[in-house]
Amino acid sequence: MIRFENASVTYRGGVHALKDLTLEIPDGQMMVIVGLSGAGKSTLIRAINGLVPPTEGDVIVDGISVRKASAKQLRVLRSRIGMIFQTFNLVKRTSVLNNVLMGRLHTTGTVRSLLGWYKPADVEIAMQALERVDIVEKAYARASNLSGGQQQRVGIARALAQEPSILLADEPVASLDPPTSHVIMRDLQRINRELGITTVVNLHFLDLAKLYGERIIGLRAGELVYDGPGAQADEHVFRDIYGRSLSAADVMGEDAAPAVAL
Amino acid sequence: MTAAALALRRPAPPSHAKRNLGLLGAGLIIGWAAVTLNIDVGSILELPGGSAGLFYEMYLESGPDWGYVPDALGYMIQSLAMAWFGTVIGAIISLPLGFFGAKNVSSGLVSNVMRQVLNAVRAFPELVLAVVVFIPIAGLGPVAGALAIGLHSVGTLGKLTAEVIEGIDEGPVEAARATGAGSLQVQRWGVLPQVLPEIVAFWLYRFEINIRASAVLGVVGAGGIGFILQQTLAFHRYPLAGTVLLVVVVVTIAVDTVSGFIRRRIIEGAEAKVTGEVVEAELRDAGPATGPPGR
Repeated sequence: MIRFENASVTYRGGVHALKDLTLEIPDGQMMVIVGLSGAGKSTLIRAINGLVPPTEGDVIVDGISVRKASAKQLRVLRSRIGMIFQTFNLVKRTSVLNNVLMGRLHTTGTVRSLLGWYKPADVEIAMQALERVDIVEKAYARASNLSGGQQQRVGIARALAQEPSILLADEPVASLDPPTSHVIMRDLQRINRELGITTVVNLHFLDLAKLYGERIIGLRAGELVYDGPGAQADEHVFRDIYGRSLSAADVMGEDAAPAVAL
Repeated sequence: MTAAALALRRPAPPSHAKRNLGLLGAGLIIGWAAVTLNIDVGSILELPGGSAGLFYEMYLESGPDWGYVPDALGYMIQSLAMAWFGTVIGAIISLPLGFFGAKNVSSGLVSNVMRQVLNAVRAFPELVLAVVVFIPIAGLGPVAGALAIGLHSVGTLGKLTAEVIEGIDEGPVEAARATGAGSLQVQRWGVLPQVLPEIVAFWLYRFEINIRASAVLGVVGAGGIGFILQQTLAFHRYPLAGTVLLVVVVVTIAVDTVSGFIRRRIIEGAEAKVTGEVVEAELRDAGPATGPPGR
């Protein structure tokens, strides 16, 4: 379980990215965060794995305080939390398999990992992760040889290789076209349901949020302004979250027009 | 709006004062350098004649001494070995130092200190390092030359390595940290694969430069082809010296060609053949899923 306890994040320079947030995400839930750019969505996600630790209050993940965790505890915590990024963040000049094996670094000794001598069992876990997102045939290809959608699947496989209990996805489809976006969102939904992994996703397309979010929370200027089931979030709710009327740019739509970021 | 009013809105042309000042400064420095060098115009005019005379004695009078080619090649190989060994020393030592010298993966203080150390090392040419440091320690011969080349290479390669590392994409580094990897693991799998192709290309380029350096080092007693060149010239054995020079030029160009080919393959090779594959992959991506799943 993830619990935000009056958590605030203030960046150096005085930007309040998150303000006094109290929130509970139960195990196995698929939760979508919506809000405008700069509303604090990315900060919220990074507060969970301590990439951006809270400056006030706390975030408790499976009983461990992110704020008070030592460097070692934080690494252990991060190893249980997979993360997926908008720009995929693969090392493009190495193989897909090497990228996925990053997810096994936390159980691999320093010398072994420096030499790249992963244990056969870890390679097997990486291969299974690639199979789960249906891209295992690219295991030995260079990551740069893959399309955006394929790269994001490799990103998901890297997170799965950690055998995580929580999956964080920071705008996982913002760099992808609509059909590919749905493929990726369905992958995440399937993983959430089949493996029971708590999944927290940032999205800015409202139709995607409604379609895939078991629960939706809305952030505006770092504050929680909505929290409810995805099915109940209608146009009025989104207007409240965004603080303005909605436009065509706020939904992805079903045509193949290139997605325009807000 | 009238033409005059429109003209008022146009920006004034930028001032050329800075550029002119720069040109003036450059001109002054050239003049100062010429005066300091005390250039003797007469000797410059004699240069073509002198060179032609030397060329005649080396290659035309009795022809270069072809029988000496195997011996000269042997000495050239010694020079190549000196350059190769020095480059390997430089590469191995400069790689970790480059990581310490990069602001984004090391700390501000450590990287500043490391950069200054690398600058200091780089300030000493191989020739000075050989004569002052390594020939006294290792004695005359190629070992001293290789060590001098190696130390100087540490300075240049370390600085280049640090600069390449500072230019990396930070995304994969964040991804590696997010998996719970330790900091050495992050460097190994988040940073190194991003920079290795460029760095290996620098190593090869440095090897090309070091071949020239090793030839010069022979002249001051570090063995190899330079030593023989100096000896043949000192004893006025011009046909032999002509052969030696030919061997130097031919072997250097040959090694440069091979090394340059490998460098281009490392940097472009794998990426150049990609384009077709990516387009194909995108078509496949767009293929199966044409809409959202049933609600």
